[in-house]
Amino acid sequence: MLEAKSLVKRFGDLVAVDGIDFTIEKGSILGLIGQNGAGKTTTFRLILNLLGPDEGEVLWNGHRLRKKDYDTVGYLPEERGLYPKVTIEDQILYFAQLRGKSKKEIKPQIDAWMEKFQVKGKKSDKVKTLSKGNQQKVQLICTLIHEPELIILDEPFSGLDPVNAELLEEGIKEAKKRGASIIFSSHNMNNVEEICDNLVMLRNGRMVLNGTVRDIREQFGRTRLFLETPIAEEELGQMPGVLSVSGTSEGLKVLTLDAPERGKDIFDRVTENGYITTFSQQPPTLEEIFKLKAGEPNE
Amino acid sequence: MNKYWIILKEVYKKNVKSIGFVTMVLSPIILLGIVALIIYFVGRSETNQEPTSIAVLTEDSAVQEIMASPDIPLEVNADIASVEEAEEAMTEEKLDGYLVLETADDQIQGEYIHTEGNATETVAILNQVLSTYQVQIKGAAVGLTPEEVMDLVAPVEVQTTTVRIDEGEISQEDSLAETIQNWSAYAVSIGIFIFIMTYAGIIAEEVASEKGTRIMEVILSSVSSTAHFFGKLSGVLLICLTQIAIYVVLALVAYPFIRDIEWVQQLLEGVDLAAIFQSLLGYTLIFFLLGVIMYVVLAAFFGSLVTKIEDVNKSVTPIVFLAMIGFYGGLFAFASPDQPVVEVLSYVPFFTPFIMPFRIAANTVTTTGVWLSILGSTVFAVLLTYLSLMMYRSNVLIYSDTNMFQTIKRSWKVMQSDRKARTT
Repeated sequence: MLEAKSLVKRFGDLVAVDGIDFTIEKGSILGLIGQNGAGKTTTFRLILNLLGPDEGEVLWNGHRLRKKDYDTVGYLPEERGLYPKVTIEDQILYFAQLRGKSKKEIKPQIDAWMEKFQVKGKKSDKVKTLSKGNQQKVQLICTLIHEPELIILDEPFSGLDPVNAELLEEGIKEAKKRGASIIFSSHNMNNVEEICDNLVMLRNGRMVLNGTVRDIREQFGRTRLFLETPIAEEELGQMPGVLSVSGTSEGLKVLTLDAPERGKDIFDRVTENGYITTFSQQPPTLEEIFKLKAGEPNE
Repeated sequence: MNKYWIILKEVYKKNVKSIGFVTMVLSPIILLGIVALIIYFVGRSETNQEPTSIAVLTEDSAVQEIMASPDIPLEVNADIASVEEAEEAMTEEKLDGYLVLETADDQIQGEYIHTEGNATETVAILNQVLSTYQVQIKGAAVGLTPEEVMDLVAPVEVQTTTVRIDEGEISQEDSLAETIQNWSAYAVSIGIFIFIMTYAGIIAEEVASEKGTRIMEVILSSVSSTAHFFGKLSGVLLICLTQIAIYVVLALVAYPFIRDIEWVQQLLEGVDLAAIFQSLLGYTLIFFLLGVIMYVVLAAFFGSLVTKIEDVNKSVTPIVFLAMIGFYGGLFAFASPDQPVVEVLSYVPFFTPFIMPFRIAANTVTTTGVWLSILGSTVFAVLLTYLSLMMYRSNVLIYSDTNMFQTIKRSWKVMQSDRKARTT
């Protein structure tokens, strides 16, 4: 279990991280979202003890991260890099050795991992001969092959196509099943929504959201209404409590309400003539919440 | 296996297997081979040159005889007896020139007509032979025997001995030893410079490429920065020692073969190989190691400041300048080891390895002075390593496009705040 307790990190006048609190249980996944410069990478570095916090502390299973805990860490930094002139196999073995594994343990597993992530190429190929996507997958293997208990992934999905993103999702879920505590950052809210148990959103170093994806969305209220109705958009717009109306390409009308309770009246109105195929009242999507929170004025 | 050893092994294996290392090791050997070949061919073309062939036109058969003697390195064609014949032979390129001699009142006068590009050597031989002959004729005229004549013209021998003042005493100067020391200091100076440039480049690139690709963050989340820093350093120093070992082995293997080559023998004549090795293994080795260590540590430090691998050369520039100052300081010390500026510079740690060997060779420094400079450099190297290590951890986390000085300042701040954060 990883606990971040009231973390503060300053660089001169800049407060990069300002009072962050969260917990990642064994076998659960935390998504860290926020705009560029929100403090995500600094948070990761504080967790990894690459930087020391000015206030607060990070506890791994109840104590500070110790030298021997390094062996149970898997870290994928945001910018991707491998040794270009080294073969895939040597690369994986080197990183695994640095995590305290022996060559004998890791060598027989390499083929299976390359298969799992569908890396195109032989393990005797030099890294520079691989495509960028394949290099990224090799790096993921380096991050995961030693079966770490604490996994930190900085933007793992960036640059992956949907097929490869799904392979990565599978890999992350597998690690979760194994009991690992996982934290990752992402710009893609779909990934976050699909695999995260918990979510933390940072803005200028502060936590603006914290909780399960469901709770966070519910906390904004079910103010999005998806309708399939012959009633014209203008008429819908004039109903009490409707802030705006727009249409989707599938022919749905999307209403934004000022309060969730308005839904009942609107339901009565649109079903006056009987059955309609779609009436769905939902909280805002993560993406909408993200934009909303990112756009809020400071303080 | 200890993580320090894993890093050391990785650095070593990766570099020793690279084409860069092979070319680096081979290039001085190839260069040496080319120089040796040139010397060999130049030497051979000189010794194989055909002797100048001349004709001597004179009434005096005694001169003819002297000229034809095998002691004189000229080929005299005795069949030619007239100017016409000589000129004909010259047009057919069978003759290089002819000498016309006339004797009047025991005074020999000669004229040498030739087609040689440069006849200075031939004329000098002719002059000497004819002068000796004339002295003998004149000697005979006043009744002296040839032996008496030789006695008369025997030259005076002047012997030279250089002495040096050593702590108020005059002692015999061993000029050969000094020359050897001087040249081995010179060789070491060049050697240190080349090794420093090469290995500073290698380690700066090692560190910068890991930082630029963010591999560094992954590594520092698995090992301590101390293990990483020293692993890299020792790996690179081990590569350096490997290169030296290769040369030593090659020299030992090649020595029995090249020992018998004539020009090598000429080269080694009067050179005491044992004395050279002795001087190499003494202070020189200490200075060499100190120099390489100081500069390699500095290069690792500067390499860790780089944001992109492309900027590596920029980061090594200050080190190149520093080494250049040392190198030229050494050359200056070679020329004038008594200068006060040389004396001062020889105690500056970064310059000591370049300059001190020359001062030792020129005997302008006491043994105490030498050990003081070694001690100073050692303490400095330790401090430099400690400071570099301290800042290494914060350096590798800072990505900045500002100049290096700003980066160091920022890194210093991060280090300070980090140390404070860790102690609370």
